[in-house]
Amino acid sequence: MPLMPEPPIPAADALDEEVRRHVVVTRWNDLIATVDPVTSWGRRSSLWPLQFGLACCAIEMICTAASRFDIARFGAELFRPSPRQADLMIVSGTVTKKMIPMIVRLWDQMAEPKYVLSMGACANGGGPFKEGYNVVSGVDEFLPVDVWVRGCPPTPQALLNGLMELQKKIDEESFVGAWKRRRRPEVEVPALGPDLVDRRQIPDIRAAAGKGEAQRLVEMKLKPVLKPAPKAGPLSSLEASDAALKDAGMKLAARVGADHVQAAGHALVVDRSVWGQAARVLRGEMGYDFLANLTAADYEGTLEVACHLYRTDQTGGQLAVKVRTDREQSEVPSVSAVWPGADMQEREAWDLLGVKFTGHPNLKRILLWEGFAGHPLRKDWCEAYYEEPRKMFSSRWKEGRVRPGETRVRWGRNVIYPDGFDPSTLPADDAVPADSGNADDRHLPVSLGPQHPSTHGVFQVRALLEGERIVKLEPVMGYLHRNHEKIGERNTWIMNFPYTDRLDYLTSMANNLAYAIAVERLAGIKVPERAEYIRVIMAELTRVVNHLWSIGFLLNDIGAWFTPSLYAIEERELVLDLFEMAAGSRMMCNYMRFSGVAADLPEGFLPAARTLVSERLPRAVDTLDKYLTKSEIVGSRLRGIGVLPRDRAIAHSASGPVLRASGVAYDIRKAEPYSIYDRFKFDVVTAPGGDAYARFLVRLGEIRESLKILDQALAGIPEGPVIEKNQYLLRPPAGEVYSRCENPKGELGFYLVSDGEGSPYRYHVRAPSFINLSAFDEMCRGHLVADVMAILGSIDIVLGETDR
Amino acid sequence: MRPWGFFLVRGMGVTFGRLFNGFWQGARRAAGLPGTETHGSGATGVFTVQYPEERLPIPERFRVLPVLIYEETTGEPRCTACGICAKACPPQCIWILQAKGEDGKTRNRPEEFSIEANVCMNCGLCAEFCPFDAIKMDHRFELADTVRKGRDILNLQDLLVSSEYHARIHPKGAAKEAEARARKSAPKPAAPAAPAAG
Repeated sequence: MPLMPEPPIPAADALDEEVRRHVVVTRWNDLIATVDPVTSWGRRSSLWPLQFGLACCAIEMICTAASRFDIARFGAELFRPSPRQADLMIVSGTVTKKMIPMIVRLWDQMAEPKYVLSMGACANGGGPFKEGYNVVSGVDEFLPVDVWVRGCPPTPQALLNGLMELQKKIDEESFVGAWKRRRRPEVEVPALGPDLVDRRQIPDIRAAAGKGEAQRLVEMKLKPVLKPAPKAGPLSSLEASDAALKDAGMKLAARVGADHVQAAGHALVVDRSVWGQAARVLRGEMGYDFLANLTAADYEGTLEVACHLYRTDQTGGQLAVKVRTDREQSEVPSVSAVWPGADMQEREAWDLLGVKFTGHPNLKRILLWEGFAGHPLRKDWCEAYYEEPRKMFSSRWKEGRVRPGETRVRWGRNVIYPDGFDPSTLPADDAVPADSGNADDRHLPVSLGPQHPSTHGVFQVRALLEGERIVKLEPVMGYLHRNHEKIGERNTWIMNFPYTDRLDYLTSMANNLAYAIAVERLAGIKVPERAEYIRVIMAELTRVVNHLWSIGFLLNDIGAWFTPSLYAIEERELVLDLFEMAAGSRMMCNYMRFSGVAADLPEGFLPAARTLVSERLPRAVDTLDKYLTKSEIVGSRLRGIGVLPRDRAIAHSASGPVLRASGVAYDIRKAEPYSIYDRFKFDVVTAPGGDAYARFLVRLGEIRESLKILDQALAGIPEGPVIEKNQYLLRPPAGEVYSRCENPKGELGFYLVSDGEGSPYRYHVRAPSFINLSAFDEMCRGHLVADVMAILGSIDIVLGETDR
Repeated sequence: MRPWGFFLVRGMGVTFGRLFNGFWQGARRAAGLPGTETHGSGATGVFTVQYPEERLPIPERFRVLPVLIYEETTGEPRCTACGICAKACPPQCIWILQAKGEDGKTRNRPEEFSIEANVCMNCGLCAEFCPFDAIKMDHRFELADTVRKGRDILNLQDLLVSSEYHARIHPKGAAKEAEARARKSAPKPAAPAAPAAG
């Protein structure tokens, strides 16, 4: 008898069927499968991003949240200033070593389930600043990243694409898995020693202590070369074209002693023994009241401090004065008492070049942190990813087998420790800064930032309060220090264009222009007529855009949370469309070249620009004026707040709208016209009062003046070539220049030293956002904490430029 | 002198005006009426771009990551491994390994061509200075990824796109380049033309 399979039991089948019909879930897995879509849907449709921006990408993130791209359509519009309330961290921009401890701490404070979206090349892997000494090669070295968004910067649509990618990932996630993630350990906060220390690597570092990191530099084949400083000679050696300089030199020599004043190139060299006295003479008797720029340069055996002086009464041109000191035992008298604007610039020169300023009241590091090993802008100081003194690197071509930076260094990180470094000497993880020792019974130290919704980026304010009033305040910066100058001295001249885009990333066109003009002055390059017009059009559009942004976010700072700023930046989008059309990118334009612009205006640009300039932009500025100028809130929050009197504004080297709002009619476009600004009719907008309200009025007025210039330029633009000769290798003759332009934020200057090679020997950026902060303490004293934000907003800083 | 609070109330009016205008213009837009574009100077308001259902038009010069062009007809990459892009690249993210023949002599083509995508700053200098129209800036911006390792270095195969694709995204630029190439390779007018037979 064949074996028959057991017949199915019809009763059990029927029972199964019955159970399936009436009970939805019969098994644990089914239960989860039913709940998962609901929880995932809920979680993915209500992501609350942390209100946290690092650099350029943050601007695009704000645009994504603004009306045109409207992240609210994805349920992610609720940007939370507190990590406790947020579940999505958008790492938007360059992650620096100084900032990464804060970023890790913020992530640790977020509640699970939490996600990290890495936005832009820098956050993904260091980006263009990867080779810098203060840059982390990707945030995923510390945090678990869920989605990477490529681009530099990613456009708002690309960010939305990344958000959708994250939503997909959340969709696939089981709620059980998400629940279990709450046990994910915290990431240990890295420490700042002589370099960034990942605490997970401490045992290895300890094991290797004292074993030749410095040796690497000795063995290096391509070492940096120090050049001798330009030779100083007697004043009589000056050429006839330098008559004014000779004259000034004679006057100075008469007061401080003839053998103490010499000349080198187109500058005076003052002996450091009389520098303090000479500075007082220059400022007092000779009337050079405006110290535009103070920096230093590293030469063979010598450190040279260079000052560029002007007079705000606009007579006489630039006066370059230099002071030299020994490289190993540097000592230069500080002039911060003569020109208070020198204070922060001297600190920067100490931090980056190790020039010791005697008599400086507060000679601490400013962009890096105390304890950092070495002074990075010295030529022989080499960072972890150092390859060669100048680009292009020989490993890239012919035998270009790709070897990313991480694979070439010892720790797999962008770090380098000095010989004998013992990580056990590191301070314990402690959020409270050690130097908050001013506290007593009456005074309370308060730290605002670097993660704060109103600091316009990663900027920290350390304030000492008495009750609600500011007694003393110190700006702390460097959280976005991207080593612009160190990289700039390796770059060929043209390579610096895209980097200048990333200085003040709201005004990249104007930065391009300032740099182009500086190098053109150095190399004596002419620019075709049409290109000059295009440059002016771009620069003035940038000014309009910047001031709209600045006014919008000033309102944000005084508590009109986001609605007015979104209205104010609407028109910006249309201008960015024009930039994208002409230059290929909304923000990182990289449009100017030496002797012209990269490409002619595309078809349709001029009609679109004309309509915009004659219709929409005037309407926008009228609307702002109509609703804000007399608004009770704007008045009561800004009038009389942050007063900077005329003489103090000059003394602090304030520039741009901050200077003009103190009643000084000083505009470089008029005082020292560059490009073709002398052909246009426009007024220098000033306002008396010097308070935050005056600065608001000046910006409003400047938009109107810019529109006037734009009208004239758009009407008068001629046909013709837009560039003389576009070359990727330029070798300006040996020499130096300090050239400045009136950027929307103030005086953007470039101090360039050429040794006749393909890249600058010294490349320094005089950043208006940085120097305008000199007066910040003085403006804030006596005001309420809430006013600090209004004052900061009225100064209008961008951290990319402040920290460089 | 206005009573205190006048401007405050008026300011609130702006917000309400915006709110209602949004609905009004949205309805107009749904009905396909003119003057409701999301971009261009004709736009009366900046309208929300309903990404991903709609996208902003991409201008020809838009740049994201670089791509290498191969000829549609022959399948050969245009790149001659001359190295100019690597020399012009500001963050030095381009690595080129020049091909070598069996005789050990270098050939004018790349054996390997790599770009560190997370170092590239999308500046477009490589494309600007390439004398062979071989490297161009791509328009694809939707590059979000949930994996980084192994995908941040683009190799030759990742980078290659056809000349047809290039002509599609850069219609004007490609036409101009083709014209210039034709001019270059055209027989010199000075050369005596062969007499036509018959």
